[in-house]
Amino acid sequence: MNSYPPELLTQLAPVMFVAGLDPPPAFPGTPQSPPATPTSQQQQDPFTLLTLRLRESFLSQRKPSIWAAEKSKTFQIIPVDKAVRFPPRKLQPPADDPTNSAAHSPLSPLTPSSPLFPDGLIAPIWIRKHTNLVPSVFVLFLRLFELPPHMPRSPLDPPDVEREKEREQEERRRDTELSAEVAQRKKSTSERGIKLTVVLTASRRMLDDPSLDARLTYIRRQSGLDSRAALFVLSPVSVAELNDFVRSLQDALYESAVDYYTTHSKRVRRKRNRHSQASVSYNPANPNAIRLRPEGWTVRYEYKMACFAEFRGEVEVALKHYQDAYATLVIMFGSTAILPPRTKRWAEAKVLADSINVKVCKLYLYNNEHGLALSYHTTHMRKFSDFSRGWGIGEETFEFWSWMARQHRILAELLEQGTRSTLKIPSHRPPPAALATANITTPISGAQAQRGVFELDSMQSLGLNPSHALQHPGFYYYMAARCTEKRRERFLLLIEADGSTLAPGYVNEKKVDHLTIILELYTKSYELFKKYSPINSQNLNQGRLTLWIAYRIAQTYYDSGKFDMAVRFFERIAKTYRREKWGSMLRPLLSTWYACAQQLGAVELSVKLLIEMLGHGTMDNNETYGAEDLVKLLKSTSPSTDAPLIVDLSESEPIFDSMVVFWSPEVKVGEAAAFQLSLTAPSNVDISCLPITSLAIHFTEDFAPLIVRHVDSNSVPEALTRRVDLGHVSTADHKKEDVQTDLRWKPGSKFVFTGTMSSDVPMVMNVSKVVLTLEEHSWNIEVPFDSFTLRAGSIPIVKWLCSLDPVQYFPIAREIYSTVNVRHRPHQLLVSLSHHAPAFLDEEYPIVMDITNADDRDVAVVVDVLLQPTDIDHAVNHIVFDDERSSGLIKGVSFGVVPPGVNVLKTLYLVNTGAAGDRILDISIQSRTMPKSSSSGPASVSRDSQSYPSDTSETLQTLTVPTVTPITISYDVGYRRALAERPGPADLALYDSEFWDDREGGEALVSARMETMGPYSLDVKSAKLIRHDDKYARVLDSAIDHDDDASFPAEYLPGDEFSDICRISLAPDEEYDYASESIPGPGEYEITWRRILPNGEHFALSTSHFPLPSLRPPSDGLIALMSVPPAATLHVPISMSLKIRNLHPSRSANVTVQLEPDLSDAFVVSGLRSGRVPILLPGGEEELIWRLIPVECGYAKVPKIKVMDRRTMSTGEIESEGEVVKVVDVRWDRRAARDDVTDARRSIESLSGGGGPAAGVTTILVLP
Amino acid sequence: MMPNPLRLNAVAFISPQNHPILIRTFSKQDELKYHYIAHTSLDVIEERANSSTKSTECYLGLLYAIEDVAVYGYMTPLKVKIVLALGLSDTVVRDVEIATVFKALHMAFYSSISNPFLKLDAPNAGNDQYPFLLVGGVKWKNFRRRVDEISRVVGTVTPVSNT
Repeated sequence: MNSYPPELLTQLAPVMFVAGLDPPPAFPGTPQSPPATPTSQQQQDPFTLLTLRLRESFLSQRKPSIWAAEKSKTFQIIPVDKAVRFPPRKLQPPADDPTNSAAHSPLSPLTPSSPLFPDGLIAPIWIRKHTNLVPSVFVLFLRLFELPPHMPRSPLDPPDVEREKEREQEERRRDTELSAEVAQRKKSTSERGIKLTVVLTASRRMLDDPSLDARLTYIRRQSGLDSRAALFVLSPVSVAELNDFVRSLQDALYESAVDYYTTHSKRVRRKRNRHSQASVSYNPANPNAIRLRPEGWTVRYEYKMACFAEFRGEVEVALKHYQDAYATLVIMFGSTAILPPRTKRWAEAKVLADSINVKVCKLYLYNNEHGLALSYHTTHMRKFSDFSRGWGIGEETFEFWSWMARQHRILAELLEQGTRSTLKIPSHRPPPAALATANITTPISGAQAQRGVFELDSMQSLGLNPSHALQHPGFYYYMAARCTEKRRERFLLLIEADGSTLAPGYVNEKKVDHLTIILELYTKSYELFKKYSPINSQNLNQGRLTLWIAYRIAQTYYDSGKFDMAVRFFERIAKTYRREKWGSMLRPLLSTWYACAQQLGAVELSVKLLIEMLGHGTMDNNETYGAEDLVKLLKSTSPSTDAPLIVDLSESEPIFDSMVVFWSPEVKVGEAAAFQLSLTAPSNVDISCLPITSLAIHFTEDFAPLIVRHVDSNSVPEALTRRVDLGHVSTADHKKEDVQTDLRWKPGSKFVFTGTMSSDVPMVMNVSKVVLTLEEHSWNIEVPFDSFTLRAGSIPIVKWLCSLDPVQYFPIAREIYSTVNVRHRPHQLLVSLSHHAPAFLDEEYPIVMDITNADDRDVAVVVDVLLQPTDIDHAVNHIVFDDERSSGLIKGVSFGVVPPGVNVLKTLYLVNTGAAGDRILDISIQSRTMPKSSSSGPASVSRDSQSYPSDTSETLQTLTVPTVTPITISYDVGYRRALAERPGPADLALYDSEFWDDREGGEALVSARMETMGPYSLDVKSAKLIRHDDKYARVLDSAIDHDDDASFPAEYLPGDEFSDICRISLAPDEEYDYASESIPGPGEYEITWRRILPNGEHFALSTSHFPLPSLRPPSDGLIALMSVPPAATLHVPISMSLKIRNLHPSRSANVTVQLEPDLSDAFVVSGLRSGRVPILLPGGEEELIWRLIPVECGYAKVPKIKVMDRRTMSTGEIESEGEVVKVVDVRWDRRAARDDVTDARRSIESLSGGGGPAAGVTTILVLP
Repeated sequence: MMPNPLRLNAVAFISPQNHPILIRTFSKQDELKYHYIAHTSLDVIEERANSSTKSTECYLGLLYAIEDVAVYGYMTPLKVKIVLALGLSDTVVRDVEIATVFKALHMAFYSSISNPFLKLDAPNAGNDQYPFLLVGGVKWKNFRRRVDEISRVVGTVTPVSNT
């Protein structure tokens, strides 16, 4: 911006002169000093302070700036002296000039003394006149005269008339003086249409004075001030209030200012109109005289009108006039006759055109019309580029590029200023909707064409002219820098051509330090790019755009010989470029960097860069450096230190394509793993002359690196692919001999280093890195690189070289090919579990575990056994192993160290109780190899076990043991009623606690049937009934007790049975609930047995217990029990008794008994034929006895006895005799458990009472 | 009004890892410049791709204009970036046209990458990037041919005629 007069660029605003605010003369130096440090005297005088504050406030209103888009009514305020004079308006023309009768401004081209005379367009001085010398509003600050206040001595004193009069006269006199001064100023301002406003400062007391109004009116009249906004009175107030005052003063006067500039505009427009009409006649009066041409006048007037509009803040009007002025200016430039190139006026006009362009752009930007602004700017540049060609300063001249750079730069500066305040840089991301609608509107574009305006709009929304897309100023700075670079190029060409003197501006151009300018522009651009770079980018440190600019800066540093600076930049830039693998950009960077390093004499850096460049290969141009350059450099220089120079290429492009392939993914400890390391030289770079002395191949930590040394071979092998055998590498040998081979790569050739490696411990083996050593002269350079690197464009094809002639590969299709896993050999342990399924319940079931070490190492074996919980009911199982007993897990049963070939047997016992079903055992056999104790001491053993995980392995076995019961038992239970004589109620024995009252319960007959189930035979040692008599039940006797036929011990084959019957007396107490309760069986069978294996072996003795079933005696109501002897002798009388019992708990019974003799009866009966038994109370019993004499032999039926319980049956219509009471023959009294309905059927009683033909028939065997 | 045919100066394909796949320049001079342009465009592409609310739109619009080229960006759903450098002419460039060109380029890339024989060269490259980098390599000519063809067509015919 400095290249243009500031007057032509600044934003114009109405000008206000402020007079009478000069600092007091006593302090001539104070105006600049801030009012914050006023001296004590100033503080005393409020008016001095007021003046200072006012001045401050006015000055802070507005700073002249180029970008001021906000439309506030602010003035450009200039403090002036009270006696300021305006520049002369018009000069009388010299009398001898006949053509110019009218008076002209001293700046007019028509005035000979004017700098524009005779054909200038407009000069910055004209604007300066309007911004600095002539205001639109003149504000004059004056002090209203005040007499010191007169204090009457007493309120009672009469007004001092004399004094009053005197005061009035004095005031009048002072006011008249003041009015005269104002009138003087008023005259000078109204001449020019300038608004004059007077501000009278007065004390606060004065404001309340009733005489003030009169005085003010007097002053206004006297001085001829306007009635409106022309006279203010201000008393000393606070700063805030002062600012308000200044603000409102501007508001009040803004209209006047606008009027002022409007008047000017009107005047200029009149002149322009008159001029354009008169132009034809006016031209040829003096053809030889140089005059401003009509186009020039148009430019002049339009420009003035534009300026006045700008003063008024009318942006659109100003824009139009500026554009008109510019258009006419372009017409003028179009003809060399009007504006001959390289004249003073031409140069002025160019400056004017450029600055109008800036103004137009700026005004467009005020309205956010970015496209229009940029379009105007680019059009300007294009037009003037075209003109420049005509003027002989086309693209081949430095002047052209200087001008172009200036245009870009000024736009950048304008945008930079704008963005600091109101301007926003738009994003050019297309709105997604725009694309969508675009697709829709395309087919109907024909219809749109008719609506022309809409078409334009839609065009706007459909796309963007990229050259009209506003970007941040960094871009334009960049452009300026690029143009300046071109300017420098042209200039340098000119110097080479030595046609220096001819070129205009050459002398000036020689003074220009182009590189500094370029650097400055790039730096500005860089900063702006940095500022506008996205913050949320992952690349937090630096954007690529900024790196690009940085690269340009580095280049410029290089060009200007500041190599150290350039190198610093290159280092930083290269980092990102390397990382993102943009070799194409890195290549030129490295060359320039190398050039810098050469210039700086940094040999190490040069070597590094040359080596890195080897990786990048050659470019099309011959700017790059190859291996020869490196060799040359190494030969000619020596390093600064003796330490080897390490050139780490891990970040940058590698020299070789390197790859490691292992043949198999996994090997065992001690087994050799074959690998191939292939190094392929690039085909586009010749590295055969590199002085490679050795190649160190580094493996996983524990391996010593393997060195391959170079030996010169006389006959260079022709083959492109060569194989180098490295032999075997293992962790054990640390002094591996170096391999020797010819390490010279021809372009594109490939070395395949093959070898095997093995490890004594399990690990992951790989080739970690490869270090190339170059030695030449005194240089020792190490180039480490990764064992797997690919040059750009190379493809990782994993293959195994299997034949050299012809070259054949075997593809390795594995995910992981560059490492190999070393694992321990599995332990050769043979484990067998032998047992004889199924297991029996209650048996210690032996499972023999046989572990045989088939390995050649000592193995320590530890076994864990887990008995899995079962969901079988009542199953309580446990295992016994090695004196440990557990219902779950037995851990760590040691088998000790098993030497090779030895087997160890251990027996695990499984004990199952409860129910049959499968039992599951998990057996884990853990083995660990024992280090050979003979070779290493105990210390080293512990070290070894710590240093790497010991060689352990584990095998798991799951064993399912089916379990069956050896003997099943089934019970058959019947109940008999008690027949014993009932003790009477008064029998004292009843009350004995030992008294066994089985009246209610009777007896239970339990027959148990035991069956051996197999599949193995059992050797039953004994079987007995163990009694657990309690107060409800006791075992009376058992068949097994009387067993003397030596049935035990005996061998029982599967399916064999034996049984036992026992009698149990029951004595449920009175509360016994027959419905729900049961009496636990008062004993259990204990059977001791052992299994007999088919081979005759016996297991250990086992004992099974079978508890007696729980007993549930049935309940009775009214019952008749008949007892007769089972047999009788003919004609020998026998007695038959019938016991009628009322066992009902609450009801008494009225029972009738009727003997129903039959003719066919085999008995002669004596006794009751029919009768009623006395009423039986609950628990009562009555016995009836008959005598019978059998008269027939054989099974004879006893006479039928009918027992009735006489109860009135309410249900029947016929009154029945009552319920029949069951007559039970006690000999056959056998009832089932009460709830066991199905069993009841089988009981004899049920059969007899079930309605069968033999029902109720009791027989006696009568023998003769 | 007939819009001027677009002048393609360069096309760049950049892998999701920001490595160049193919940079094809159609003006003989200043090939390197387009490498820089492609690289720097990544900044703007990343900014646009990150800042925008989840948009499925691939076309990213004008990235920037510099010197004599206007740079447009496009990002495929699999994050392959396509950068187009147009010769700067003082006309409105319609987004539809550019988006069409981009789609054609995307399809060209897509059909080239779908070549099953590409896998032959990198049979066990687990990394998906390799086929991307391969397809731009010298060995596989089809991709270049497709891109060149698009450039030729764009340069001669106006893709969308406008009354």
